[in-house]
Amino acid sequence: MKRKLIAAVGVTALTAALAACGDDGSGGDGGDADSITVWLMDGSAPEPWVDELTAAFEEEHDVQVNVEIQQWDGIQDRLTTALSEDGTVDVLELGNTQTVGYANTGGLADLSDLADEPWSENMLASAEVDGTLYAVPWYGANRVVIYDQSVWADAGAEVPTTRDEWVEALELIDENTEAQPIYLPGQSYYVMGGFVADEGGAFAVEDGEEWAGSLATPEGEAGMEFYRTLQSFSEAPADIDEAEPQQSVDIVPNQEIGSWIGLGWEAAGAIAAIEEAGGEADFGYFPVPGKTADQLGNVFLGGSNLAVSERAGNPDLAMEFLRLATSQEYAQKFVDANGDGVVPNRTDVTAEPEPGSFAEAMVASADVGFLPPLTTGWANVETEPNPIKELMTKALNGDDYQTAAEEADAEITTRINRE
Amino acid sequence: MRKVMLNGTALVLVVLFLFPVYWMFSTSFKSNTDVLSKDPVFFFTPSFDHYSTATGVDLFWTYVGNSFIVTIGAVLLALGVALMASYAIARMRFRGRRGMVIAVMMAQMAPWEILIIVVYLNARDLEMLNSIGTLTLVYFVMALPFTIWTLRGFIAAVPKELEESAMIDGCTRTQAFFRVIFPLLAPGLMATSLFGFISAWNEYAMVLVLNKAPDAATLPLWLTQFQTNFGNDWGATMAASSMFTIPVLILFILLQRRVTGGLSAGAVKG
Amino acid sequence: MTVHIEDAPPRVPGPDPSTAGLPPPRPRRPRSARWLPYLLLAPAVLALAAVLGYALVRNLVISFQEFGRRQLISRTTEWTGLDNYRAVLENERFWDAAVRTFVFMAANVLVIMILGTLIGLLLNALGTKMRLLLSISLVAAWAMPVIASTTVFQWLFDQQFGVANWVMRSLGFSGYEQHNWFGSGTSTLAIVTVLIVWASVPFVALNLYAGLTTVSGEIWEAARMDGASDWRVFWSILVPIMRPFFLITTFLEIIWVFKAFTQIYAMNEGGPDRQSETLPVMAYMEGMGQNQYGAAAAISVLTLIILLVAMSFYFWLIFKQEKEES
Repeated sequence: MKRKLIAAVGVTALTAALAACGDDGSGGDGGDADSITVWLMDGSAPEPWVDELTAAFEEEHDVQVNVEIQQWDGIQDRLTTALSEDGTVDVLELGNTQTVGYANTGGLADLSDLADEPWSENMLASAEVDGTLYAVPWYGANRVVIYDQSVWADAGAEVPTTRDEWVEALELIDENTEAQPIYLPGQSYYVMGGFVADEGGAFAVEDGEEWAGSLATPEGEAGMEFYRTLQSFSEAPADIDEAEPQQSVDIVPNQEIGSWIGLGWEAAGAIAAIEEAGGEADFGYFPVPGKTADQLGNVFLGGSNLAVSERAGNPDLAMEFLRLATSQEYAQKFVDANGDGVVPNRTDVTAEPEPGSFAEAMVASADVGFLPPLTTGWANVETEPNPIKELMTKALNGDDYQTAAEEADAEITTRINRE
Repeated sequence: MRKVMLNGTALVLVVLFLFPVYWMFSTSFKSNTDVLSKDPVFFFTPSFDHYSTATGVDLFWTYVGNSFIVTIGAVLLALGVALMASYAIARMRFRGRRGMVIAVMMAQMAPWEILIIVVYLNARDLEMLNSIGTLTLVYFVMALPFTIWTLRGFIAAVPKELEESAMIDGCTRTQAFFRVIFPLLAPGLMATSLFGFISAWNEYAMVLVLNKAPDAATLPLWLTQFQTNFGNDWGATMAASSMFTIPVLILFILLQRRVTGGLSAGAVKG
Repeated sequence: MTVHIEDAPPRVPGPDPSTAGLPPPRPRRPRSARWLPYLLLAPAVLALAAVLGYALVRNLVISFQEFGRRQLISRTTEWTGLDNYRAVLENERFWDAAVRTFVFMAANVLVIMILGTLIGLLLNALGTKMRLLLSISLVAAWAMPVIASTTVFQWLFDQQFGVANWVMRSLGFSGYEQHNWFGSGTSTLAIVTVLIVWASVPFVALNLYAGLTTVSGEIWEAARMDGASDWRVFWSILVPIMRPFFLITTFLEIIWVFKAFTQIYAMNEGGPDRQSETLPVMAYMEGMGQNQYGAAAAISVLTLIILLVAMSFYFWLIFKQEKEES
């Protein structure tokens, strides 16, 4: 204790000497009574929507709203440390697979006051721990197959309704065109998770009090096997994911790609990039097919929640902001601003996708959306190096699946049971 | 023949050493289609689009200002504090001198990247986050051991008699230091300040967690903004990298002769 | 022994001529007050203790704690004794990373010192114009910030748009259509090595050259007259003269390469499958990546101990030199 004090005095003295060098402590505006700080992820919210929302809130409460757009690089460190600081952030966006983990750290405020709103049942699961609400759903999104209509027409391929038809279509493209039938990098693990879910499997299962990785199972192997079949039609490397290089803007606009699996913002990004280069996108969309025609393929139900930091500088205002942002009015506006390309967070908000649009295909499979195990430790599994991704690369490179999957399961089990 | 071979080798080396630098600058002037091309494009019409993207970022000038304040502040502090310390180590005999030499050498080995979280915890508990002052303090300490070590070599290299003769002329020890030793230290001061400058200018991992308030951020954070999950804007990244490199490059070219001579003098006389 | 270096402080001629005629007064011995050295050292010691010392102490403290995301955010303390150390020492990955770190360090330092020395000698042998050109390109490589150069190297070795694959294709090698340079740990570390060597060689080369310029030309002439080969001249004249330089430079390079973090981490995050993880990268991955700050602290404490033991010989060497000089 004494040592700490001495050190503290030393540091303080030195900083006092440094005070002339900069504007100490002007940051972290959250502590002020008349402002709140909101962290949103880069690319999450359309700007006009954010502007309208903040203007309305500032008007109503006579406060300043600082919306700080966060970069993805290093975000985990920033989030974790920010939640441990007083007043750095009031309202923040969290990925739906990450929320439960943060809730258990004690870093998120109890949002039970908002529990009675008509939240989408499917999404609520990722925001609750033991019946207590720690975040509210903001939006959902899932992947669909995006295809180049002219390539498919040239190949004589038709939109598939089953896995077999899908593979046949890819074969036709392979034979009849120069295009890469599908762009599928080796580590798109949420796509693979869907195939495993189609077989009735999961990344991990509950095993008594604990959780255990469950990829070294017949279901896991069958899911991976179908992924391998699809991936064999792709020239994409086995050891990258869809984000690096970003398939939508780095790959699709620059190569001849017959089809790819992506999210709404990815499709929009690809269209913009193609148009910027003077071309015209000719995309069609269909939901990921299932094993039979009457059952669509499972897709990961991605999305984001909004939460309030337990150490918020202004918890009451933060709560009010959250209430407004996710109110029926602004939730509907959010869906509209996204061109109906997101799954709404509330049952009283509707998305009415145009026929043939991305949104139509997406909403079709929203009901077969799956979530990874919603445990505190799941976020640990997803951090790099991600054992599922490594397993996929090994399997695609021809390593023995069972051995690799057992290793992955061991790692998943270790991490998922950590706090 | 020997001459031709030497010059040939030198030319190959010039190409090898310059190529990455050249590639950074040239990519920054290419259009997106030329950047993302399977076969590298060597001839193109230059465009400044990436530079406007890079400088068009919110608060860009705040980052620039912060980076310069933090870097120059850290370097000046390191020079001042190190000058005193290295004079004591090089010129005075006192109990604990050896311990001090060892401590400085060991401090130089400190793996700062691993210590980020504890530095963060300390700063957080003392409520010193989001501060340009804290950042300056940390960068100053990062540069300090190397600065002390190098300056010590320089001071030791100045003959004692010089100082003594100055004192014979009636100077006090302080006067003698500033009139005789200090001017002779110029190369050493430049060499070490350059090192401090680079380490502070480049630092990324620490500022990422220490300063979350946008108005307390520095240029390295800006540099990584163009590589996102939504696609890497390589053109803008390279434009930003080019701009980021230029101050260091200018400083280096200005100081190069003194720095290289200076460092070896300091190091050799270790 | 002292090597006189071109830009090193020149010796100033004797006492001022105006006082030359007078009988020299007795030199006033510096009144080295007992507390003066301590006063001069105080700011440095204080700063090092407050920032570095305090951090190291805290690091040691949390290495005995269960310290994860929850403890960080809710600011609680849970002591676990030696659990973290036990877990780390039992972890094969730690030992793999330790071995990898040393092999990587040895390879890098060796290549840097050899290439740096050769290029330094080359600089000395070149004509003025060529020397200037080479110096400038060395300085450009040296000046490039690590973040920038790592980004450029990633880009050069990019699987799809990288120049490296294009060069290999152009040279007629097959299999470089989409060659993945980061496909294995060895290959990743090889590219990191290229980057580190590229960035570090200028330091060695330019400094060596600066040192060489001060070695009197007569020594070379004399050696040549005696018919000594280049090899002989290098080993029996240059190396002994430049010994302190090699000693210190190698010491610095060892530390710098050992600590190399940004280059390895930014290049491929220690992947694939953790095969390019060195000790500092491993500590960072466990800490910042996995939020196992306690375990990461244990790794870093062990890393520091390993480094100290490994460097103790060097400390001793430098200390010996120190003694010889004083």
